[in-house]
Amino acid sequence: MKNKNVDDLEFSTILGHASDEHSINKNYVVQSSTFRLTFSFINLYALILIVLFFIVKGNLVEGINNNFLDTGFLSVLNTRGILLFILLISLNIAAYFNSGFKYVCLIMLVYMLNSAIDNAVLFSGFMHLTDRPYFSAFSVTRPLFIIALIWVFIIHKDKKKSIKKV
Amino acid sequence: MFENPQVSKLFWFSMSIAYSFCFSALYTYSTIPEYLLELDNTIQVNLTMKLATVRLAIIALALVAYPIILFRFFKYAKYFTVALTAWAVAIYIDDYFVLSEIIKYPESQLISLIQSLRPIMIASLLWMSVELVFRPMAVDW
Repeated sequence: MKNKNVDDLEFSTILGHASDEHSINKNYVVQSSTFRLTFSFINLYALILIVLFFIVKGNLVEGINNNFLDTGFLSVLNTRGILLFILLISLNIAAYFNSGFKYVCLIMLVYMLNSAIDNAVLFSGFMHLTDRPYFSAFSVTRPLFIIALIWVFIIHKDKKKSIKKV
Repeated sequence: MFENPQVSKLFWFSMSIAYSFCFSALYTYSTIPEYLLELDNTIQVNLTMKLATVRLAIIALALVAYPIILFRFFKYAKYFTVALTAWAVAIYIDDYFVLSEIIKYPESQLISLIQSLRPIMIASLLWMSVELVFRPMAVDW
């Protein structure tokens, strides 16, 4: 009869040895699945927002009220779109190299909060929620994006931890 | 209860510059003469004053909160300082590159002076952030 315990022991010895031989250095950070999910959401949201900025700027989709673009909102959308794109790239680079992620995340958070305050103070009189329903949807759901940024800021692990060998 | 933050003299100097600037801005915007606003009663100036009021409220909050964070929760001071620096840079970029066609400050020498001193305040904040982030490297100057 086959001895299962012995077989498992042999396999684990072989695999363990092989793992030691082939792995160079296992000192890297493994982020949680919640982090990866939230980070993907941030990327997706920001990318759609940037595309939307340029769609509205280029007047590619018919809106109910086209006059609000004449109030200087056009140049604001252009610059905001570019700045958000640069910040998004910086955030991804910081996450990939796991260096300064929290700081870039904080800067992006501050930038988004500031632009939300600016929009609320300067353009709330010129623009109505029904002018551009798809654009308004993003303005209304911006707190979600800000909460996601705060969440990744909190749960991000920036210290290197050694993975236990089996 | 209170921690003694081990920071350089240059940090305290930068902090005093930043505080002086913020208090000057608070004083300047809260004491703008009425006739000046009536003289420049355009939509742009009104919007600018509305935005400045919101910003000054945030500045006042930060002025109160900063010493508490620095002396009581020192390990979070670097994040708070970086956030404030990022905000100072963001509103500077906003004013000069993004909202330049939309906002217009009232014609006043004191306001012009405050506006021209903003880069110095940003430089002070930048130094404070750099020192707090790379704290082990900081030496007493």
